[in-house]
Amino acid sequence: MSGALKYEGVRIRTIASTYWLSGIAIFLNAVICFIIAVTVTTSDVDDLDVAQVTTWTWTAGASAPITPVLAGVFFAVMGVMAMGHEYRYGTNKATLSAIPDRIAVLVAKVLVLSAWVAGVVVTSLLLDLVVTWLFLDGPDFEIAAWRPIVNYLGYCIGLALAGFGLAAILRNQVGALVAVLVWPLVLEPIAYGILGVLGEQSSRGVGKLANLLPVSAGRRAMFDPYEIFAGFGTLPTWGIAASVVVFWTAVLGLVVAGSALFIKRDA
Amino acid sequence: MALIQARGLSKTFKGKAAVRNLSFDVVPGSVTGFLGPNGAGKSTTMRLMLGLDNGEGLTTYDGVAYRDLTQPLRHVGSVLDAKPFHPTRKAVNHLRMLAVSNAISPTRVNDVINIVGLGDVANAKPKTFSLGMGQRLGLATALLGDPGTLILDEPANGLDPQGVHWLRNMLKTLAQQGRSIFVSSHLLSEMALMADHLVVIGRGSLIASGKMSDFISTSRRNAVVIRVDQPDVMVRELRARQAAVVAEPDGKLAITGMGSDAVGDLAHELGVRVFELGNREATLEEAFLDATGASEEFRASMGFGAEQPAFGGPGQPPYGPSGYGQQGPPQGYGQPPQGYGSPQGYGQPPAQGYGQPPQGYGPPPGPAPSGQPQPPPADHDHSRPADPQDGEQR
Repeated sequence: MSGALKYEGVRIRTIASTYWLSGIAIFLNAVICFIIAVTVTTSDVDDLDVAQVTTWTWTAGASAPITPVLAGVFFAVMGVMAMGHEYRYGTNKATLSAIPDRIAVLVAKVLVLSAWVAGVVVTSLLLDLVVTWLFLDGPDFEIAAWRPIVNYLGYCIGLALAGFGLAAILRNQVGALVAVLVWPLVLEPIAYGILGVLGEQSSRGVGKLANLLPVSAGRRAMFDPYEIFAGFGTLPTWGIAASVVVFWTAVLGLVVAGSALFIKRDA
Repeated sequence: MALIQARGLSKTFKGKAAVRNLSFDVVPGSVTGFLGPNGAGKSTTMRLMLGLDNGEGLTTYDGVAYRDLTQPLRHVGSVLDAKPFHPTRKAVNHLRMLAVSNAISPTRVNDVINIVGLGDVANAKPKTFSLGMGQRLGLATALLGDPGTLILDEPANGLDPQGVHWLRNMLKTLAQQGRSIFVSSHLLSEMALMADHLVVIGRGSLIASGKMSDFISTSRRNAVVIRVDQPDVMVRELRARQAAVVAEPDGKLAITGMGSDAVGDLAHELGVRVFELGNREATLEEAFLDATGASEEFRASMGFGAEQPAFGGPGQPPYGPSGYGQQGPPQGYGQPPQGYGSPQGYGQPPAQGYGQPPQGYGPPPGPAPSGQPQPPPADHDHSRPADPQDGEQR
């Protein structure tokens, strides 16, 4: 297992895409954080909730539904490449020749990918913390909600693992990339909108199906305060715990399915 | 140094058998060529041997299955693809990545990259590599753990003549050091110079396994050739003695079923003047085509007379309507043909531009008169069959 971890550690550190994907994610977050901080400090609104604004800025907008979590897309792409490269360039044969234990290969990929994304997210949060401190007049870190931050970290890792699982299932890097871009950015918003309309016109039962949209569920778990934002639109929503379960069930489903196929299939 | 034993290898793709109950040995101290027509199942077999494909059967390396090897790169090195690496990961990083997984020293990375002649481009991205350079990086991967066994699928693809020469010398040198080298190639002339043993498959089944000289000796192209002043008399008497005779366009007679001594004696008895008498040894290519003609997976059907295998092929008279009356190896071929016996060029340094042979890959220690290979280790005498199938032709 240690050999597989070392292998994966070198693999992720010796590929250019790791760095530019990580760099873009950090940069985008910093820009969004900056924009939010400047917007808030120049606004005329007097009754701002300091803690809420602090969290919103610190998480680069992740704690509010109006700001997209663009960094998550780059982590998903990173996840796709963790497995997609193996198939696209035929390196899976070299990998499995060096480490015949396929479970060890998979576990190492999941652990190293998760650790790398966590490191990037933490780095990004630290940078955003500095921006928040510089621009906000008296940021309230003491009561800043840790739940959105923890779920933000989990959301990014989850998207990366979902990309990893999709690439393992599809064995096609391009297809997996399209899937991780189209699903959260196009298909889920459309599905959410359709379910919203159907929910209004017919019964509440149809609208509840929106709770099962995994990316939306993962996104909702970051909202702060959850009670205000979770019901954004007309759809009823489950609680935070249920949203986290929906998101991670989908992620783990993809990882388990991809892993099972990786073990079963020929290299 | 590992004895490779493949037993009962089988693989089916969508109901079609790609490899059928394949069993053979690869003995240490030899280069064993793996031959078969396109689609015969060579690459699939190699993947099965390394546990990359899920199939039936088992391959062991000194009794241990690949998946059970601790740090497998230290035991078995392999190259299955021409460019099995990420195009933008530096060559040296590709090797470092593999090295750390098997606790191989970083200095070894530098060693092997120089061995294969890529020292100058160690920090280059492989996307700029030619096919031949890619093959060299693949070979560096295989050599990384200084393994006792090498499994190489078409390693000469894309190499220039100097590269092929270098590869041949390196593999033969590695074999002389007692390693087991199992290599597939479509370059039969190259294989003839490189390999000592052969495993030949067709349509996924074993056709032959054993020494190359034994394989070639079974070709129907082996014959006694004679040119006389009275060919009609000679043909009549030869056929009366159950020999098969074919008249060739240049007036020679190709005879099977009798040795050259007997043919010479007969000519003397008949009072026939002999202008030329000799043995004709089949080439590896001829023997291969004879053996695998019926096993072609993909056969051209138009133009160039491709429907008929070259040299007659199985079931076809090789030279004319008379055909050979008897099958089986002719007699009196004790010596291997020139160019198929002793390997040439042992210990030669790589051509200019490929670096010097590193320590450990040069000529083997001890006497090697006239550049001849040393005999294999005593505990792996490959002059005798390693198992009942060795040397057997199916």
